Amino acid sequence: MRDVETRPKKGEWIIVFTILFASLPLILGFALLVISSFSKDMVTNLSLSSFRPTIENWINVFQGKLAITGGIRQNILKITLNTLVVALGVSGIVTLISTLAGYSLSRMKFRGRKLMMLLLLMLHAFPGVALIVGVYLLYRLTFPQEPSFVRLYSFFYVILARAALEIPMSVWLMKGFFDTIPWELEWSGIIDGASRIKVWRQIMLPLIKPGILAVALFGFLAGWQDLIYVRTFLIDQTLATFIEANIEAEYSHMPLIAAAGTLYLLPTIIFFLTAQQLLLQSYSGGIKG
Amino acid sequence: MKGKVGILLAMVVLFGVIASGCIGSQESSETETTGVELTGDFTKDILAIGRTLESNGINEVKFSAWGSGDPNSVMRVYGIVEAARRINKVWEENEVNVKITITDIHYVASFQDAYQEYLSKQPLGQAGDFFVNSYAFLPTLADEGYILDITEYANAYQNVIDDFYPSLIEASKFNDKLYGLPQDTEARPLYIRKDVAAKIGFNLEGIEEKVKNGEFTWSDVYYWAKKAKESGAAEWGLIHRKGSAHPDLIQFIYAFGGKLYNEESGKLVVDVPAVYKWLYVEWKFAQDGLLPKDIMSWDWAKQIHPAIVEGRTLFDIGGTWYWTEWQTKDYYGKEGTPRPLKPEEVQAWFTYTLFPAGEKGLKPVTLSQPFVWMINSKAGQQNPKYDELKDLYHKLAFLMVIKASDPDINAIHSVISAHLPVRKEAAELISNEKWLDDLKSLSIDLDPQVKSNIKDIVATTVHPINAKFLADVSYMLEYTKLAPAHPKYPALADIFKEAVDKVLRGDMTPEEGVNYIIQKVNADPELAQNVEVVGEIPKDWTLQ
Repeated sequence: MRDVETRPKKGEWIIVFTILFASLPLILGFALLVISSFSKDMVTNLSLSSFRPTIENWINVFQGKLAITGGIRQNILKITLNTLVVALGVSGIVTLISTLAGYSLSRMKFRGRKLMMLLLLMLHAFPGVALIVGVYLLYRLTFPQEPSFVRLYSFFYVILARAALEIPMSVWLMKGFFDTIPWELEWSGIIDGASRIKVWRQIMLPLIKPGILAVALFGFLAGWQDLIYVRTFLIDQTLATFIEANIEAEYSHMPLIAAAGTLYLLPTIIFFLTAQQLLLQSYSGGIKG
Repeated sequence: MKGKVGILLAMVVLFGVIASGCIGSQESSETETTGVELTGDFTKDILAIGRTLESNGINEVKFSAWGSGDPNSVMRVYGIVEAARRINKVWEENEVNVKITITDIHYVASFQDAYQEYLSKQPLGQAGDFFVNSYAFLPTLADEGYILDITEYANAYQNVIDDFYPSLIEASKFNDKLYGLPQDTEARPLYIRKDVAAKIGFNLEGIEEKVKNGEFTWSDVYYWAKKAKESGAAEWGLIHRKGSAHPDLIQFIYAFGGKLYNEESGKLVVDVPAVYKWLYVEWKFAQDGLLPKDIMSWDWAKQIHPAIVEGRTLFDIGGTWYWTEWQTKDYYGKEGTPRPLKPEEVQAWFTYTLFPAGEKGLKPVTLSQPFVWMINSKAGQQNPKYDELKDLYHKLAFLMVIKASDPDINAIHSVISAHLPVRKEAAELISNEKWLDDLKSLSIDLDPQVKSNIKDIVATTVHPINAKFLADVSYMLEYTKLAPAHPKYPALADIFKEAVDKVLRGDMTPEEGVNYIIQKVNADPELAQNVEVVGEIPKDWTLQ
């Protein structure tokens, strides 16, 4: 008797090979980027003849230099910190709002609940670029007249604006997680005298940790990767705008850009290496009560 | 329900009206004058401004500088830092308790990106107070009111303005008003390999004069390129640059007596005879194997520059900045491990001329894309009492640009970046050996931060050979043409690039290339409105 969900072992290698083959361009692209970051010349073809090993690119990147001679020294740590602030800010707001909203939509009946869920889906359908004119107008209306606050406010605003784009989908995701938890657990808490907020915090949240982690990480990556909102609203540079502004094929020393690009990739790589099990768990139907 | 929707819509409209009113009111705030008039005496003016600021309780003025370009062109922003130091010194010596602080230096490689960023941040008051970028963006920025009209201020400093090359001052104007001061410019010479020429008996003596007089034309370039290729002296006859942003190839239109802009109608021009001859030259060179068919997709660092510095071509169309770029980047790999060239090698291997005339009877050309210091129309906004003292901050910003244009600052920029000086006094300075020695050892009066940041560029680029090169090519500015500063020019240049690529690859004949350009222009209604197509394809024209 064969389980319907298992496949014959001998066919497995075909699937693995197909998946590998399909992902080859992507893997190759990233591999060439990482290799080039340790080379004096860009390795842009499959022959490794242009690979001349060096760690100079990485030293230069950490010193904030984007040219072998000349150029302005940039404070790369500050730029990385700016990126981190935006990413953590987006992640924090998205997680907080979506866990609260997801719980309400899953557990509470109120007027307009269905409409709100539909509207959230609709909001998710709007691409960020399409909204930028309106968001720009709001920014112009709200930014402080006092010049010393503008820099701080630009961080605050870009975090809010970018988080707003992530929240609709995250709320849906969180609602899905809350839906999987049996009512009995919540009832027992309420019978014991806990308030709804206490139930949410002490009973529900620990049960949907993988979901919270997934939403937080996706929020983090959204903030880390954002280019358009950051370029439009943020006064300071992030890694994305820094790399973008310095890619000029004729002027730039491309292996240095490759090192900056690899640095930019690191959180994504670390994230997928460390959290893949947890994410698979959360994607495959959530948690059993 | 309908009533509620109506109320909601009315609220949205009302919000919009109030919002647009608020934005408008920010833009139109009037300011008081401060009473300081510019006299043309720099020290006197700077002291008057300093004392007025001090009497208003201002002891620190904050400015930011934005620039872009290749890594060696950092004086585009450091010039402002140095100007601030020089003004601070004047104030300090005269016991004026005010100091200029440069809060933010923003310098990126892509000048198009810098422009886009300026466009989005200027209305928010977050763009740099000083913005150095291509003259091509100046008309749009001036038209939008994003940069300061400095015509009146400049009138007081006519003696300084007169020292700039007139064509560059013209490039800094829009509607007859001055919106900036030139920062640098360049020429695009035709480089010729001396060693390859010697192998094929190509006598280079007096070549500059022959090109100047229109005796050596593109027919001669073809003749010698073919000889170099056929004799095996070089792999290629000609290598040129690629991409539409680079106006190098546009030089062909001017060299064949064509034009790109009609001043009377304000429209761009597709000059059919000149464009046809340009495409014919490209096609003929590529068909005969003198120019790589796929040059438009060659890699700068791996193919284009190595082919030139390793002597695999007789001719190269490039820019003046190539001269030092070849000395700073590892392009030369003939001996195994790639390395930069030495100044002596560049001098020994290359000679340079203007871009030759297309045919006998026409003139040689070169093409420049001057960079211009522009002042934000909100310059000084991050300072206290901006509304009351706006005029004063603007005048101070103007004086900073005047100071940043000091001949020595301009000359330093020229030598280390291989761009041409924009002032006659700066051109004289780069021919001065003592001054060059002082620059080489950095024994010059310069901000310590600037000194430390340009130290490695100075060490690599300051050399009498490089200074002589710049002095030698300065005459080219008399022949310079500018690509039109028209908002639709980039779109037209893109179409030109596509046509050149197709003709080079042999996918189209020159005639088909011209028709392709016309069709593409007509297919875009907005472009068609802004472009005139003039002339006919010449019959039986060939490159002799």
